[in-house]
Order: sequence, then C-alpha cells, then structure tokens
Amino acid sequence: MLSAFDANWSLMTPEIVLLCLALLIFTIDFMTGIKGSKPFLGRLSIISLLITAILVVLTNNVSGNIAQVFIVDKFAMIFKLIILVGVAFVITISMHYLEKNSDVYQGEFYSLLLFATLGAMIMVSSADLITLFVGLELLSISSYCLAGFKKRNKKSTEAAIKYVILGGVASAFILYGMSFLYGLTGTTGILEIGRDLGALYDQYPFIIMMSLLFMLVGFGFKISIVPFHMWAPDVYEGSPTPVTAFLSVVSKLAAFGLVLRMFIIAFGSIFDEWSFLLAIFAALTMIIGNFIALTQKNVKRLMAYSGIAQAGYLVVPLATTLTPDITMSIIAFYGIAYVMMTLGAFAVITLVTESAGKEDISSFNGLYYRSPFMAIAMTVFLVSLAGLPITAGFFGKVYIFIGAVTGGMIWLAVIMIATSIVSFFYYFGIIKQMYMNEPNENDEVLNPPLSLSVMVTVAVTVTLFLGFFPGLVTKYFNSFHWFF
Amino acid sequence: MIANILTLLVFLPLAGALLIFTIPNENKNVIRSIATATSLVALLISLIVWANFDRGASGLQFAQLVQWIDIGFLQLNYEIGIDGLSMPLLVLTTVVTALAIFASFSIENRVKEFYIWTMVLLTGMLGVFVALDMFLFFLFFELTLIPMFFIIGIWGGKEKVYASFKFLVYTGLGSAVMFITFIVMFFKGAQASGEATFSMIQLAEVFANPANPEVLTSGVRAALFLALFVAFAVKLPVFPFHTWLPNAHVEAPTAASMILAGVLLKMGGYGLIRIGVGIFPDQATRFALLIAILGVVNIIYGALLALVQTDLKRLVAFSSISHMGIVLVGIASFTASGMQGAIFQLVSHGFISALLFFMVGAIYERTKTRTISELGGLSKSVPVLAGFTLAAAMASVGLPGLSGFVSELLAFIGVFGASAEILPAAKTIGVIAGIGIILTAAYLLWAMQRTTFGPMDEKYSGLPDARPLEYIPMIGLLGFSILIGVYPNILSDVINITVLDILSKIGG
Repeated sequence: MLSAFDANWSLMTPEIVLLCLALLIFTIDFMTGIKGSKPFLGRLSIISLLITAILVVLTNNVSGNIAQVFIVDKFAMIFKLIILVGVAFVITISMHYLEKNSDVYQGEFYSLLLFATLGAMIMVSSADLITLFVGLELLSISSYCLAGFKKRNKKSTEAAIKYVILGGVASAFILYGMSFLYGLTGTTGILEIGRDLGALYDQYPFIIMMSLLFMLVGFGFKISIVPFHMWAPDVYEGSPTPVTAFLSVVSKLAAFGLVLRMFIIAFGSIFDEWSFLLAIFAALTMIIGNFIALTQKNVKRLMAYSGIAQAGYLVVPLATTLTPDITMSIIAFYGIAYVMMTLGAFAVITLVTESAGKEDISSFNGLYYRSPFMAIAMTVFLVSLAGLPITAGFFGKVYIFIGAVTGGMIWLAVIMIATSIVSFFYYFGIIKQMYMNEPNENDEVLNPPLSLSVMVTVAVTVTLFLGFFPGLVTKYFNSFHWFF
Repeated sequence: MIANILTLLVFLPLAGALLIFTIPNENKNVIRSIATATSLVALLISLIVWANFDRGASGLQFAQLVQWIDIGFLQLNYEIGIDGLSMPLLVLTTVVTALAIFASFSIENRVKEFYIWTMVLLTGMLGVFVALDMFLFFLFFELTLIPMFFIIGIWGGKEKVYASFKFLVYTGLGSAVMFITFIVMFFKGAQASGEATFSMIQLAEVFANPANPEVLTSGVRAALFLALFVAFAVKLPVFPFHTWLPNAHVEAPTAASMILAGVLLKMGGYGLIRIGVGIFPDQATRFALLIAILGVVNIIYGALLALVQTDLKRLVAFSSISHMGIVLVGIASFTASGMQGAIFQLVSHGFISALLFFMVGAIYERTKTRTISELGGLSKSVPVLAGFTLAAAMASVGLPGLSGFVSELLAFIGVFGASAEILPAAKTIGVIAGIGIILTAAYLLWAMQRTTFGPMDEKYSGLPDARPLEYIPMIGLLGFSILIGVYPNILSDVINITVLDILSKIGG
C-alpha cells in the first residue's frame, strides 16, 4: 500500500491554497484591528474563491486519489465549483449586509466563511469516513459560529444554540452509523465498503440497515429533509441573512454531496433496500415543506420551508433507479439552478429586509416602484423556484420528472408536480407584494451597491440561460463519468 | 422569408416587448404606439400567411423543424407549422389582440408594464397555435399564464388579487395535468415505437398504429385521453372546471377580458382538437357521449347562471361558458359539419365575446356601473354604443347573417347527423342543446332590454358617445363577425380539408 508521503498531494492543491488564503485573511484581520468596516477583506475573499475555482477547473482532466482517502473526480469537481460560486455570491451579499450591521466583526466573518467552504470542499472530495467527518465538522462548526454572529441579538444567539445542539446530535448519529460500518468491514474507506457491502448484507442485514438509518437521520438533518427539518426555520430566521443564504445553499448542497457519495458508492449495492425509504422521505419533504411554507409571514422562514421543499426535489433522483451518471447529471443541473435562483433571491431579500428593518414579507410591498430591476430579478428567481418556464428551475424539474418517470417512480413525480403547484401560492405571494401592493410609507427607493447588482445580474442571466439552453450544460454533464 | 414567417410572427411581439422595455415610463404615447405598431405588423403578417395559405392542400404548411434542446435521452425540437385548424385561430389572435390594444389606451397607470405583458402574452398565444411539438406547446401554453396573472392582478377591478391567484392556480393545475400526460405519452410512445419524441405528428402515427398493443392498451389510451381532456377543460372551460372564469373575466381590465375570452379560451378548444382528437381519435369517439353531455351541461348551466346575473360583465362571462359548450357538442358529433361548427364557434365566439366585453367596458367607463338594474335607456344617451352592444348580443344569440348563426347551425347539423354508433341519443342531445340556445336568446335579450331600452336615467343624459378610437375595435370585431356570417366560405375554405383529415382517422 502506498504510504501517505508517496501520494499525489497535488490533487489537494485547491484546498491547500484556500486554506492558506483563509489564514492570510485571518491574519490580515488581526493586523488591522478586529473592529471596523473591512470591505477589502470581502473582496480578497472573493478573489481567493476565484483562485481556488480556477485551480479546481485546472484539475478538470485529473482524477485520482490520495491513499483512498481523498478523491478527485468529476463529481468532486462540479460540486466544488458549485460551492465556490455559491460562497462567492454569499460573500457579495455579506459585504452589503455587513455595511448595514456594524456590530459584526467582519474579518472573522469572512475567514469563517472560507473555513466552512474548505470543509464543504473536503466533504465532497472525501472517500473515507474519517475525512468525510472532518470535513463535515469543519463546515458545521464554522456554521454554528456564523449563525450566532450577531451576538447581541437574542434570535441569533437562540439560532446558534439550537443549531449547535441539534447539529451535534446529528453528527453523533452519523458517527454512530459509521461505527457499525467500520465494525463490519474493518475499514473506513468508502470505496472498499462499497465493494464489500453487498455480500455482507446477506449476513448482517439488520446491522447494515441500522447503520444506514442512523446516517440517514444525521444526513437528513444536514440537508433538512422532513422529518429532520425542524431546526431549519428557527436557525434560518435567527441567523444573519447571508448566513441563512449560506446554510440553505452551500451547506445544504455540500451535505447533499456527502449523501450522494455515501448512498451511491457505499450503499449502492443495496439500492433496493433504501430507495423506497428515501422516496417516502422525499415525498414527505415536498408535501410538508410546500404546505407549511404557505403559512409563513417571515420571508426567511418562508425561504427555509422553500429550501426544505427544494431538498425534497433533489432527493427524488437519488431514490429512483437510474445509473449513477444520469442521477448525477440531473442533480448537478438542479444544483446549479438551485444556487442561482436561491442565492439570487437571498441577495434581493437581504437588500429589502435590511432597508425595511424587518423580515416580514410586507417589506416587499411595492418593490417594483422602489427598484424595478430588483423586482424583476426577484420575479425571475421566484418563477424559477416555482418551476415555471422558461427558467433553469423549470428545466431542472423537467429533468428530475423525466428521470423519475424513467425510473418507474411516477407517483413521486406526480407528487413533485402537485406540490409545485402549491408552491405557486407563496412564491407568487411575494410577487404580488412586489407589484400589486403600494410601497409602505417609510420605504425609500433602494440603491443597491454595484457588486450586488452585478451578482444579481449574473444569477438572472444564468437562470434564464439555463432555461433556454439547458442542452449546453447537460450535454457536457452527460459525457461525464462522475465517480472515480 | 415565407419559410420563417411563422417564427417571425411568433417572436415579433417579444421583440416589441424588448423595445418597449427600453422606453422610459413617462413616454406613454411612444409605448402605446410601439405596442400598436407591433400588433398591427403581427396582424399584417398573419394576413400574409392567410393569403398564402394553400386551401387545397392537406397537412401542414409553413412547417419548420430545428433541433433545440438535447439532454441525452430527451430531444426537444422547435417544430412549428399550421394547418386549417390553426390558421383561423392565428388570425383571430392577432386581430383580437390588435383591437384589444386599441381598447386599452384608457389605461393610464403603469402603461409600460401593461404593454410588455400584453406583448409577451401575444407571443405565448401565437406560439400555442403554431407549435407542433408537445413540449413547445406546453412552454407557450405556460407563457400565457404569467402575463395574464399580472394583467389581472395589477390592472384589474376590486377583487383583482383573488381573481389573479384563482386564475393562476386553476390553469396551473390544468397545465400540470397536461404536462404529466405529455410526459407519459412521450414515454409510452417511445416504448411502442422505440423513438422518443414529443412531435404531435409522429405521436399521432404511433398511437394510431400501436405497434406494441401491450404498451398502448385501450385502457392506457383512454386514461391519457381523459387526462388531456381534463387539462384542456380547465382552459376552455368545461363544467365543473370553470369557476376561475367568472372571477378572472370580471376583474380583468377590458382589454384583458377581450383577449381572455377571445383567444385564451380557444387554446383549450384547440388543444382538445389538435392533441386530444388528433392523437386519440378512437378514444375521442369512444367518449363522444361524455363530451357531448358535458357540452350540453355547459350550455345549459352557463345560460341559466347568465340568466340570474345582475352584473353585465358576469353575464357575458357566463355566456362564454355556455358558448364553449357548443364547441364540445360540435366536436362530439364527429361529423364534418359538427367539427367545422366547433372551429367556427371558436373563431366566431372569439370576435363576438371580445366585442361584448369591449362594449361592457365602454359602458362601464361612462356610467361607472355594470349592474344591469342601474343601467337603462342607453339607446337614448349613447345610441352608438347601445347599437353596437345590441349587435354584439344579436351575434351572440345567433342571428342569421352573423357568425354566431353559422357556427351554431353547423354544430347542430353535425349533432343531428351524427352516427348512432359514435354518439347515441344524438337527437336528444341536439334538442336539449337547442333549448340552451333559446335560453341564450332569453338572457341576452332580457339584458339588452333592461340596459339599452326603457326609460333613460337622468344621470346618464350627458354621457359622451363613442369616441373615434372606439370605433376601430367595434367596427373591426363586428365586421369580422358579419363577414363570417355573410360569407362563411372564407373560413370553411381554409378549415375544410383539415376537418376531413381529422375525420378520416375516425372512419378507419
């Protein structure tokens, strides 16, 4: 067996560079005094992310692993790119948010976000239960801190405490589930586990199912599927809005990457045993997420339930009998759509709620009069989230739908369409506020900073472009061999 | 140029919308002119197509096929073309929209948005009538949803938000059913023929000759047909899926009501004939009785409800439901004249209902009321408006010489001539439907008597009569109705061969 020192460490270049840059930002923060406005650190963070993204792209044709622990394949590459772009968006949103909230220590905020990103990147690249867990905890612990970043704010503190405790319990579940696997196979390597599990299942079905269930509980918490979603609305509501955006997009997708790696590679051989279970969870998630979203008045809680419903859509392909490559094409396409439309929406939400000083959906009243551009952009995002043509969200859903029908899960596909109709109510509820209500008395005309406008423009463009020409991306995806 | 003329027609309004987008809000007249010009050019193009349409040829004309999206196992094509069924509806769309734009000049708030949405709506409607790929059809169908939601919700009446959401959710549900059915058809078609396609033409062939009868059992096909029927029934609308219509029509601004009644409802009827009957002729005939009964229920139910309305606009809305029943009855007869009657009715009702809604809007603008009992003696205060209102009502009742008469006559000839194998109890159905027509006369004439005749209310004495600009939609819409009524050949020429094509599939 190869010793760790002989391994091809260059595979980890993006992660190592990001780590160094995050530490650099951390250091600069110390040296410039921790208080005060530091937009340059935000810009530096975005540049760091871009450098990392370029390095990830440069490894495009490389695939390999470091001692079966750290893996670089198409799956890791695409997820890393999605994550990096997502975090760059989040930081753009944060730069605006932090200008409005001077009680936040900016340098720490950015460096924590970068550490969380690093955790997310390690997660999607890990091929070993230990690496995977380290990545997960790096992401989680950074996220706990970020959730409580407004420390004088009761709700933010409440969110952080809830998140720490419940997140800790979820991690414990994951670890416990992993311990069964290690006990049975004697290894922590996901690839090896995947090889052996099929044969072992005949002997120890109960233990393997227990292990799977424990992990499902833990992962279900991280990606907020019903019935493990209860934390999401509270944490999303209390956290600073950019952190909410981070949790609902980047954190969720990274955890989803983990789920995919575990379920497709490690548990892939016993697909028949868990697919139905996942299908039930997906159905519940879509139904409950969409229906509870109807009653929400706080826009961040609404986005939390919307995100829960969206997680349900993402689980559908995983629960369907398709080849892993097709499953991944579908999920990656929806993942890109999800990043664009959700983060775009969060950019507008941050702008609006920070200007109104409240998070009620009535703060969207008459947005069209106050900032036509932002209103139109928000409309595109919401229409895409609702899954109407011609947007990325629409084709993402069509893709999932067709995948589900191909895999014989018509009932699940029908639930998805039916619950999408339910979602019209709350997404179009916001649209109604923007166009059909007069602005509130104290609301002023919004002047979004340039960086935010640019980001929203990019998100709108991609959302619409993928709606018109989804083939350009899917053609590329379909040629992939996703897993190492 | 002729080869791409349909694409030009469909996307021209979208270009108009983009142009309007660049004009500042304040230049209302510039925006209005651009919208008017765009719609008139669209009208002109549709007339060029009409003139170049080969009336003697069967099959599709001006067809175009471009590969658009390729996601591995799913290829979507941009496939368009027209035949005798879509040709008249295409012209109907451009005429009604152009005239609706003339009727919308009184809108003063948020002019820019209004015309942008109207232009997008026009693209959606035209796209529906030219699409030959089911996926493309669905996209255009959905493209009409959001503009209408906004138009009702922003420029509508008192209950506009409620009406717009009801419209959104009902038609959204219809679309969802349609979408699921399309996908299932796509898969079943692929299973049977080995070729995955959304093309209506290819699917019609696949479903007509089931190569694999185990995949396309008659049960499967029946289920698919019924699902399609439900999907289009929401739009047409067919009882009991009609409840969105009164709200939407009543709350929508005049121009939108005209488009809604004039064109959007026709998309339901068109889809039913094009996809429902076109791809499942055997199932359509199998359920002929059901369709006919629903048609009769529509006629009677709509008429009875219209009879008790106190609001003139609601009355017109329910009369739409009633008139769409005739389309169903005409289709259900599965005879040449019945089918022609159905298509005639789609076109004729498009002009007449748009005119009626325009008249109601014009009257409301002056009197500030639509309550029938508060109106009266309009023929003395605003004789021209009252005259056109009366003419529209007559056309709607089916007075000979106007288009309503021709379409009803054809539909009834069809029903009474229907073969007993396809439509049992055809005569009974015809008779009951006929009673519905009498009811139409009752409620419309009664409403006219209460609004245009009778003593004039003093407060209406100084009302201004029709403005020059209002003559354009009035004369235009009534003119088309008279044209079809006096010279029905102008329409039957175009649709005849297509109708025979559709029916030839049933004969075998």
